Amino acid sequence: MGVYFDNNATTPLDPQVLEAMLPFLRDCFGNPSSPHQYGSRAKAAIEEARESVGALLGCAAERLVFTCSGTEGNNTAILSAVLADPGKRRVVTSAVEHHCVLRRLEYLRDHMGVEVVFLPVDGQGRLDLDRLRQAVTPDTALVSLMGANNETGVLWPVEEIAGLVKSRGALFHCDAVQLAGKEPFSLRTLAADYLTISGHKFHGPKGAGALYVARGAPFTPLLFGGMQESGRRAGTQNVAGIVGLGKAAELARAFLSVSGHEKLRELRDHLEGRILAEIDDVVIHGWAAPRIANTISLGVGGAPQEVLLAELSDRDFAVSTTSACESASVAPSHVLAAMGVPDRYLRSTLRLSLSRQNAIEEVEAFMVVFPQVVSAARRLGGGGR
Amino acid sequence: MAVHQIDITRDCCPLTYVKVKARLYALETGDVLEVLLKGGEPLENVPATAVRDGHAVLGVESRGGGIHLVRIRK
Repeated sequence: MGVYFDNNATTPLDPQVLEAMLPFLRDCFGNPSSPHQYGSRAKAAIEEARESVGALLGCAAERLVFTCSGTEGNNTAILSAVLADPGKRRVVTSAVEHHCVLRRLEYLRDHMGVEVVFLPVDGQGRLDLDRLRQAVTPDTALVSLMGANNETGVLWPVEEIAGLVKSRGALFHCDAVQLAGKEPFSLRTLAADYLTISGHKFHGPKGAGALYVARGAPFTPLLFGGMQESGRRAGTQNVAGIVGLGKAAELARAFLSVSGHEKLRELRDHLEGRILAEIDDVVIHGWAAPRIANTISLGVGGAPQEVLLAELSDRDFAVSTTSACESASVAPSHVLAAMGVPDRYLRSTLRLSLSRQNAIEEVEAFMVVFPQVVSAARRLGGGGR
Repeated sequence: MAVHQIDITRDCCPLTYVKVKARLYALETGDVLEVLLKGGEPLENVPATAVRDGHAVLGVESRGGGIHLVRIRK
């Protein structure tokens, strides 16, 4: 059995989530919009899931729109804000957002004349809030910033950011795909207008996510058609997926309520500590910044990342280089490039991302092979400094 | 000039090129790597990515059954 350290790409489905979903893949197959008991049962399950996700996020269930992915939620939020007021044609984001935010905004810039400001980050992946404050001008429609970075795990003070953005009259969208279920936060104190989550990042199924839309925030559906999701997202709902998302949210809430993320942080720190102690010329990107509990972005000087990846894959250890979609890309990570990571580490970085399902034994097993893998990769990559 | 082989017919993208790239690191400049791969995405991606990385694709041959041989010179 392999060791899976790529949980920022996706997480294994929790067995309890699977159990909750199965009836909706078998007998409870009704269309939630149908006027009979099959439909009613599916509809009731969706609303129960909405309550559960609302409880995790600290918001009223009715403020949530179920989506099929984080990408859909992010695209919907951005379009909603940009289309809301023709007099506001400026969006502020950062250089290290996920590509579903960056590509969406680049398209709006290139085809719809929207001015997009990409804020830089410092060498630790931190945002300069004074710079953000200056960037939010009266004609700014939206500020879209992530809660936690998918590559480095660096956390941003989203409550403070939301307050700052709201005080300057712009809408605030938070891509919380890597944050939700991993670190505690609540929409009771985080004044976002939009917030995106995705179930498969916290042991739910793929194909099920949610977008929070604050009361009064402008909204334009991405998909038009039927009146599903109160007219906010047409298309027959993915009932089993949504049920799974709801169960995953319930389990994540329980995990966070007993500070499970702090135990996970201890495991991550143990792995990080061993790597730093046993392998020379390595760096942790974002080490000085607050980070989510599960992520290590590890630069290994002189070791080509493809060799590290392939050698670990051959030994049944699953890690990644940058984000899942970019793992074979020739271009270096845009996140690490924005942080000014030196060339020596830019194409020699692995992302190790743990989950609550990982155990100390897996960390120890990894450390049995990793020093050898690094040595082999360094030999092929031209060796030392 | 030496000729090396790698069979990635059982791998899917993006691991296909990751393995090819890792293998290319071990070769001397001028060596040739013969890559056995499936059609579709691997056939589209592996030669194109090799060229973008500065290697030369010497040829692509069909080996039947949806399998192809791509010859890459480092």
